[in-house]
Amino acid sequence: MLRNAVPEHLIEIRNVSYSRGDRTIFDGLNLNVRRGEVSAIMGPSGTGKTTLLNLITGQLLPHQGSVYFDGRVVCPCSRHRLYAIRRQIGVLFQHGALLTNLSVFENVAFPLREHTSLPEALIRQIVAMKLHSVGLAAAWKKMPAELSGGMARRVGLARALVLDPSLIIYDEPFTGLDPIAAGVILRLIRETNDSLGITSIVVTHDVVEAELLADRIFLLSAGKVVATGTPGNMRSDESPIVRQFMDGLPDGPVPFHYAGADYAEQLQLMSTA
Amino acid sequence: MSKVIRDCWIEFGHFAATFGAFQIFSMRLLPYMPGAFLRPRLISEQIYNIGALSLVLIMFGGLFVGMVLALQSYSTLAEFGQADSIGAFAAEALVRELGPVIAALLFAGRAGSAVAAEVGLMRATDQIAAMELMAVDPIRRVVVPRFIAGVISVPLLAAIFSALGVLGACLVGTGLLGVDSGAFWSQIQGRIDLQDVASGLLKSLVFGISASLMGVYEGYFAAPSAAGVSRAATRTVVITSVWILLFDFILTALTLPEV
Repeated sequence: MLRNAVPEHLIEIRNVSYSRGDRTIFDGLNLNVRRGEVSAIMGPSGTGKTTLLNLITGQLLPHQGSVYFDGRVVCPCSRHRLYAIRRQIGVLFQHGALLTNLSVFENVAFPLREHTSLPEALIRQIVAMKLHSVGLAAAWKKMPAELSGGMARRVGLARALVLDPSLIIYDEPFTGLDPIAAGVILRLIRETNDSLGITSIVVTHDVVEAELLADRIFLLSAGKVVATGTPGNMRSDESPIVRQFMDGLPDGPVPFHYAGADYAEQLQLMSTA
Repeated sequence: MSKVIRDCWIEFGHFAATFGAFQIFSMRLLPYMPGAFLRPRLISEQIYNIGALSLVLIMFGGLFVGMVLALQSYSTLAEFGQADSIGAFAAEALVRELGPVIAALLFAGRAGSAVAAEVGLMRATDQIAAMELMAVDPIRRVVVPRFIAGVISVPLLAAIFSALGVLGACLVGTGLLGVDSGAFWSQIQGRIDLQDVASGLLKSLVFGISASLMGVYEGYFAAPSAAGVSRAATRTVVITSVWILLFDFILTALTLPEV
């Protein structure tokens, strides 16, 4: 293959199956993330959105099929190669996952100190720049416990950006934030993606934010991608599962009642238990 | 009856699995050991956290154990006209036995549990996972510095414990019981030799390794919940204590001077 032949998709998930115990989470999942786009991965709780992230970052091994990052297989490979891939991926955890015994400054500097031997003066400059880009340059001295949820996530974003990754993964970035903080995060995700020319994956179940933010939405259900498209496409999609999820309907293809015996039998079971 | 046998077998299976996981974990620490000394700040920070902050407890413990030893041994020794020997008796007991054992037990309670809780909480709050995703091996960055700091701290703490113990015996012996201070110290000088110190040092090294390894292991594999973290801290103290007492017997039997 030619060296300059850049694959169109940054992440390719080919025919991946994964199960936990006897519960099948993915069954022949195919999903391609285009370079330079913000892709939202959505789906009801328990459809394996977080498992999908763990597969992309090589924390879990698919039982079948493979995950490709930039044309290279993510897993199985040596710890050394896996770490080389992970250095190109920034991950923002749901609650930021800042290291609680380090200050904001040291948290953002952490990847630099671990992976580079840059002089202290340069590290200070880079960290100041990244903190400034998330609007928190003035909070560099604070400890993580002193930050609000939204601020912790912004520091987490600065840390994820500090090694200039080519992909950033956001795990539920809007959960538990007030509308203003959610709006800030939303703008930051968009601006970061476009100004740095990177690729973003946002795992979320916030329909409103996803429609505003994403270039492409993947809707997962029952271990498969059931619908893909731009937010516009998804709005006009008439299939019942898409409508149920996008409109937040309580009953539909995803049933209101947890699967089990019917009501009469259930009463019997509960009274004899 | 068959149920009892089956339960025992299952328990043994659990034990073997845990023991195996423990071995594999220890093996993962080893390759990072030499490299860890290239970043001495990570280690010195932890020596401060788990060693230096245990100092007051250890000194307090040493002083009082020494004072009690002098009081308890006095009546028996005085009966044989050997009251001058309470210093030698206390020093020998402290250096060979009580210093390493009690210091290590106190260390497990004060620092081992704290390490387990800290690492367990890092696991529960995704900090360990975050490091892995930043391509930083948490074993290298979190576990190894704490382990090395513990192994360095325990022998030092045991030595301080023994020293304060002898001081405590001296206070009680010369102050309270009227033992001649010249006789007190010269008896100690004549009685304690390098072999005693070496045996105590060996013990506290082994105890230090046990306590530190147990703390980081339990913390690293703690269930990511409040109950999981508290269980990790408790297990660290309980299992470390059992190990210390067990190893103490073995090492005493092996290092006893020939009579």
